[in-house]
Amino acid sequence: MILARHAEALLWTGRYLERAETISRCLSYAADSITGLRADDARAEGELLVRTLGLTDELQAVGPLDSRPQLVAFLLSDRDNPGSMVSSIVAVRENLRSVRDRIPIELWEEANGLYLRFPFLGHENTPSDLHEVLLMVRRACLAISGVLNEGMRRDEGHAFVVVGRMLERSIFTVGLLEASHSDPRGSLDAGRMLRLTSSLQAYHRQHGSAPDFHGVVRYLLHADDLPRSVFSCLVRAQECLADLASGAEALDRPRRRTALLRSRLEFGDLSEAMVSAPVPALLDFGRELAEVANEVQEGIAPPQTMAAAPRSQYLRPGQISDGAKP
Amino acid sequence: MADVSGDGFSGPGTGLLDEYDASRAYDEVFEPDGSVRSAYTRIVERFRDLGVTELRRLEKLVAEEFRRQGITFTVYSEEEGTERIWPMDLFPRLIAAAEWDELARGLSQRVAALNCFLADFYNGDGEALADGVVPRWLVVSSQGFERNAVGIRVPHNAHCNIAGIDVVRGADGRYRVLEDNLRNPSGISYVVENRAAMAKVCTWLFDDHAVQPAEQYAPMLRTTLESMAPDGRDSPHIVVLTPGIFNSAYFEHAFLARSMGVELVEGRDLVVDDHTVYSRTIEGLVRVDVIYRRIDDDFLDPVSFRPDSALGVPGLLGALRAGNVSVCNALGNGVVDDKAVYPYVGDLIRYYLGAEPIIDNVTTYMMWDPEQRAEALNRLDELVAKPVGESGGTGVLIGPHATEQELAAARSQIEAEPREWIVQELVQLSTLPAFADDRLESRHLDLRPFILTGETTEVFPGGLTRVAMRRGSLIVNSSKGGGSKDTWVLAHDSP
Repeated sequence: MILARHAEALLWTGRYLERAETISRCLSYAADSITGLRADDARAEGELLVRTLGLTDELQAVGPLDSRPQLVAFLLSDRDNPGSMVSSIVAVRENLRSVRDRIPIELWEEANGLYLRFPFLGHENTPSDLHEVLLMVRRACLAISGVLNEGMRRDEGHAFVVVGRMLERSIFTVGLLEASHSDPRGSLDAGRMLRLTSSLQAYHRQHGSAPDFHGVVRYLLHADDLPRSVFSCLVRAQECLADLASGAEALDRPRRRTALLRSRLEFGDLSEAMVSAPVPALLDFGRELAEVANEVQEGIAPPQTMAAAPRSQYLRPGQISDGAKP
Repeated sequence: MADVSGDGFSGPGTGLLDEYDASRAYDEVFEPDGSVRSAYTRIVERFRDLGVTELRRLEKLVAEEFRRQGITFTVYSEEEGTERIWPMDLFPRLIAAAEWDELARGLSQRVAALNCFLADFYNGDGEALADGVVPRWLVVSSQGFERNAVGIRVPHNAHCNIAGIDVVRGADGRYRVLEDNLRNPSGISYVVENRAAMAKVCTWLFDDHAVQPAEQYAPMLRTTLESMAPDGRDSPHIVVLTPGIFNSAYFEHAFLARSMGVELVEGRDLVVDDHTVYSRTIEGLVRVDVIYRRIDDDFLDPVSFRPDSALGVPGLLGALRAGNVSVCNALGNGVVDDKAVYPYVGDLIRYYLGAEPIIDNVTTYMMWDPEQRAEALNRLDELVAKPVGESGGTGVLIGPHATEQELAAARSQIEAEPREWIVQELVQLSTLPAFADDRLESRHLDLRPFILTGETTEVFPGGLTRVAMRRGSLIVNSSKGGGSKDTWVLAHDSP
């Protein structure tokens, strides 16, 4: 049985780990794509990426990004931006540190090792070897994933990491699809969507031909053999939540909502909406995913006081005899 | 064999030990005539073969290992806490088997007497006080005296489950107790990690010695804690209670929980209902039977102690009184951590156990005794003055190293509050080689062995050897620049 605080820390470990990996991938691509663009285009491109990553509010707090270094600093190393890559890496480490007693030593060491490579990065200190740094982060995230999958017991803690990752990943993918439909410049084309989700190679092997926009949208939403598709993410999240909800009733609601979202993908409800009004449909779907993530967190949090909840909901292991009480 | 030359030893062919000065105090490695003590013969030979470059490389490997694993401690400066890599020197400390047996007997004896006193004082008739072994006024005026602990039943009368007793070796080569730590002694995790690092980096050093293992601490501790479960609680649910990740010893708290296979909890993870403690899990509340707390008494329960404490568990004291949970170490142990009680421990051993202390105290002057105070203040420039309520070397004045102004200030403070001070003879702590300035130099050290008491008492073989890393310094605390050494208790002595 897992402490609620530990469950929360591991859920967020999964979310931040996914976020760090996603940012490193997106930034790697964006840093190249905006090189040589006119200032207006570069700014629009940067803002589109920021929006895709769900960091619009954070960007408003710092003002417009007028140059490539500013974009890189904001997404890579800005500690004031809770959505930056370094902030995410710090959060992974801090969350794992708080559950250090229950995770494999190798998992902690990988996360700590990644963190130790970034102690002094700041706004003005954009690394000259940006691509090397981003590649290192992606590899480190993969190493952490490897330890998670191969070195960690398949217990509740592992399930919470997976739920966090899958929900975070699906939220990003839906956000990416929504941004691609909304972008008036059409710069988020099919190939770019595949690159930003590390799915280009898989798509080519399966479909061979040059990617078409609607085919890629379907692929990223529905593919059941693509680990980054929204469908795959929901299936895995649902499985983990089903295991967790068998002991923790409060997690049954997000489990049911996850199953419902999966059904909307599986049985065409979303596909129909995508034909007529894709942007509202994707916005709605993304909002629901975010709500599920919130519900998981709320389901973890135990009642703060005994008076706040009926006693029947608490598990009482063993026989607590009245005689043992004063 | 090392030659005596000038003010130190010059060992022929020893390389790193060429200018080693073993004359400052009792040296753990070299005899007064310069020969190597038998236990260290092979170690010295091995280190002779090492060059500066190799030793530097090994030292770097250890530091990198600790950095990678996040084996750190936190030093609190005025502004914020700084996480530092745990410092370990590669030259190990050896304790011969026979020597350790004697030391362990002495430590068990001391902790047994202290447990008797705590049980007598908090749960018994206060016989030692009634019989004048320790002055009652001294005990009840102690900052560590916890009125709320009176009457709380403790399984096996084991108030002190985890003790760290600081021992030092003086110029005569005898061990003496310098300080008792019976509240939250820390450092054991570093003992185990030091060994693990040494085993990885200096495997070859172990070839010639049968060294008692270090990893047995966690099972020993778990057995001790299990034996402290309230009556009728089989397979007790044990937790380690930490103040959180920002505490200086958080690494150790996590280490202990992980090694024992129990949960590391914070105060907010626990809740008390109907005088029973539960942990908050995702499946609801699960009863807790034994809490190994690493939080001071004052912060344990905001209802009964400091109301501003966010670290503790509201209602914990009620659960303790009801006998529904055990807290290790017990509440109120600070009364014997008080250095003012320390001078009486020998008498407590005689009183409760009817035996002479196996390990003596350092000669101590009680400042509340006018005659002793007069003598000590007269010689303060030769002695060491310690405030009774501090730990970690805070407020300690070492007479020979103090200025006239510092001595005068200390005299005034002692005269003003004699209850708050003890003064001790200066012990020139024994020395051992440590790698500094590209050679092995003698450095002073102490030893903190750990003694576990539940249904039975066990002394963990070895302990934390702390070493002063500055030449001539007697300050071994890691927060003040001290380092550590792997401590080897030999399984048997050479014939």
